[in-house]
Amino acid sequence: MRGVGAVGGFLAGRVDRGGFLAQRAGVAGAAVLAVAALIALLAPLLIPADALDVTRVTDGAWQPPGPGHWLGTDHTGRSVALLMAQGTGTSLFVGLTAAVLAVGIGTLVGILSGHFGGLLAGALLRVTDFFLVLPALVLAIALSTVLPRGLGTIILAIGLTSWPSTARMVRAQTLTIEARPFVERARALGGGHTHVIGRHVLPSVVPLVLVNATLAVASAIVAESTLAFLGLGDPTRISWGAMLHQAQLHGAVPQRAWWFLLPPGLAIVVVVLAFTLVGRALEAVVTPKR
Amino acid sequence: MNPLLELKNLTVHYGPKCVVNDVNLALAPGQTLGLAGESGSGKSTVAMSVLRLLPKSASVTGEILLDGDDVATMSWGRLRAVRWAAASIVFQGAMHSLNPVQRVGDQIAEPMRLHGVEGNALDLVEQVELPRDKARAYPHELSGGQRQRVMIAMALACGPRLVVADEPTTALDVVVQAQVLALMTRLVREQDLGLLMISHDLSVLAETCDDLAVMHRGALVERGRTREVIANPRHPHTAALTAAFPVIGDPAHRWAEPAPEPEPLLQVRDLVVDYGRTRAVDGVDLTIGRGEIVALVGQSGSGKTTLARTIMGLRKPSSGRVIFDGAEVARNGKALKAFRRQVQLVLQDPSSALNPRHRIVDAVAEGLRVHGIPGDEESLVTAAVERAELRPASLYLQALPHELSGGQQQRVVIAGALVLEPRLLVADEPVASLDASVRGEIVALLLRLRRELGLASLIITHDLGLAWQIADRVAVMHQGKIVEQGSAEEVLLTPSHDYTRALLRAVPQV
Repeated sequence: MRGVGAVGGFLAGRVDRGGFLAQRAGVAGAAVLAVAALIALLAPLLIPADALDVTRVTDGAWQPPGPGHWLGTDHTGRSVALLMAQGTGTSLFVGLTAAVLAVGIGTLVGILSGHFGGLLAGALLRVTDFFLVLPALVLAIALSTVLPRGLGTIILAIGLTSWPSTARMVRAQTLTIEARPFVERARALGGGHTHVIGRHVLPSVVPLVLVNATLAVASAIVAESTLAFLGLGDPTRISWGAMLHQAQLHGAVPQRAWWFLLPPGLAIVVVVLAFTLVGRALEAVVTPKR
Repeated sequence: MNPLLELKNLTVHYGPKCVVNDVNLALAPGQTLGLAGESGSGKSTVAMSVLRLLPKSASVTGEILLDGDDVATMSWGRLRAVRWAAASIVFQGAMHSLNPVQRVGDQIAEPMRLHGVEGNALDLVEQVELPRDKARAYPHELSGGQRQRVMIAMALACGPRLVVADEPTTALDVVVQAQVLALMTRLVREQDLGLLMISHDLSVLAETCDDLAVMHRGALVERGRTREVIANPRHPHTAALTAAFPVIGDPAHRWAEPAPEPEPLLQVRDLVVDYGRTRAVDGVDLTIGRGEIVALVGQSGSGKTTLARTIMGLRKPSSGRVIFDGAEVARNGKALKAFRRQVQLVLQDPSSALNPRHRIVDAVAEGLRVHGIPGDEESLVTAAVERAELRPASLYLQALPHELSGGQQQRVVIAGALVLEPRLLVADEPVASLDASVRGEIVALLLRLRRELGLASLIITHDLGLAWQIADRVAVMHQGKIVEQGSAEEVLLTPSHDYTRALLRAVPQV
């Protein structure tokens, strides 16, 4: 709790001196994300259930964009625009939760291995290395075939494969902080492990972790789309990756139905770019220059 | 004769802030000039302006004439030719100024190659009294003093007529400092160089320079022959600087009152600490009495810091005992935590000893929170901060460390220790990184705490002057052993061990 307060103050302090708000690309990215979040929140409330039910749609299949369906229709006659809006929530939700999971594991492993050293650090680092050299996508595919299909599996698969880089980075930062004299002072004052980690290490790594989380969301969204495109997603939910999967499966290319392929693809690119821009801007703000 | 270097009305601004204000200086060939001042006085800015090495954000007015040529208006090509060939710089902190992945011989040869100067790096290595084979060494294989010699060799590579030395010995201990100063003095005399030496330490400048200039808040406040300036300072700031460096043996500089015959508070018995196969502390016996101030002196690498860390329970000893107040100190668990409440640490560099994200009130209260001490936290913190002479406390409690000066930061560290009402303070070079004028105040504070609270201190220092100023007893440490200990007068005035004599000889004399 105190850590979060410190970070809040830290970022705010930097904002005063032309921090995040001075990073134009970051602000643009944040604006895009705000719009995407708004769509994701409003879509389930505004779109009538009928419009996305294959048995009740009235439009014909593979209609090009036109009045009534701005982005055309898919192979069942559903409006692509509505599908897009509906899919935003899934993509963002999976991206965020998977990133939080990955960054959470990574931070825990990184701090523990950096703080305690010795055998524990050796063991944790070997595990980290193991996950680092595994091809993440292949592992995620393997996991999602073994576990029951669903959103939880996708999140778990992405989260379990993308934490090692965070762990490495947090460990490096932990080691840097632990070498500083104020940590020695804290020890001399009688502070134990909890005190040193909670009061000194954690508040110093949190800004970096936040940056890393933003970037991790971007790659998690790509990972989710990839898995869904490969047909390993939750079949009951609409996501951008799943739309691409459907488009590929039902022959959008021979139908020349570009309106079914381009929007989800572009949406993924734009949202991922927005997260990356925000992440880079945060990085520029929290990394001391000189 | 034309002066080698002449500064006319030199003024430097960083934005609206004036760091150097209307400085006029001249240096004749073969002349040695010391530029003294505290941190922030603008002395380094003057040094960097000589070769136009200031960052772009600096706006410079006035003239900087190097051999009659104005550096400020030189073309880029001419400036490059002048840099190093006409004037060169010995930077502070040789560790950071050398490339860690290049052999030092190649680095010494680099300016010769750039300027197309004939010469042999090996000869330069010999000139600075290093063995020839050290040219093939990497920086990390050399000691601090050897690295500083490499920096000097580098500065001499292109046969400049002016050498600017920016705090060339600050990171070195007394013995090595004396060697490096002797080397610089010899080279300057032999090669008839002009030397502009910058330091916060008047005694270092007195050792090497014929003339002395003192800067204060960007302005030159005094200029004259070194001896006269130090003997009869006209400006109050110069007087403060000269007073801050104690003369060993001078009763006026001995501030410690005689302590009553003390009962032992902390006893170290036959303590041994090994780092792998290196023995850092080798069978040390040391006693600190109640309310007694003991100075532990020695060169860097003598094991004094390791000894202090072990006493504090921050390192495990290989063998031996530490007895505090009649009971052996536990190595872990609750008993160790309770012991740490009694013994507090004050570190050398206050700016890094405080977490930059914590407000002063949190930094001081940290110990209280760790030990879960009951009572009104705010009043305890306020009392400790005022006891450390930050008055009124309310001005400081909400500040962040970077908003305070070095001396104030050190007071915060001391307040953080005092709040736990310790009985022993272990201070590792408590004044080494502080400015001369602040130094005296901190020393006085430590003495006052002893008088008012009966607080004993173990002061670890390489500075024999500090030991003379403050200590009741002095212990001299050399290669992990305590070679001599006794009252400050005995050890510092009539040393019996050769090593103590060598240390005393190395102290620069004002």
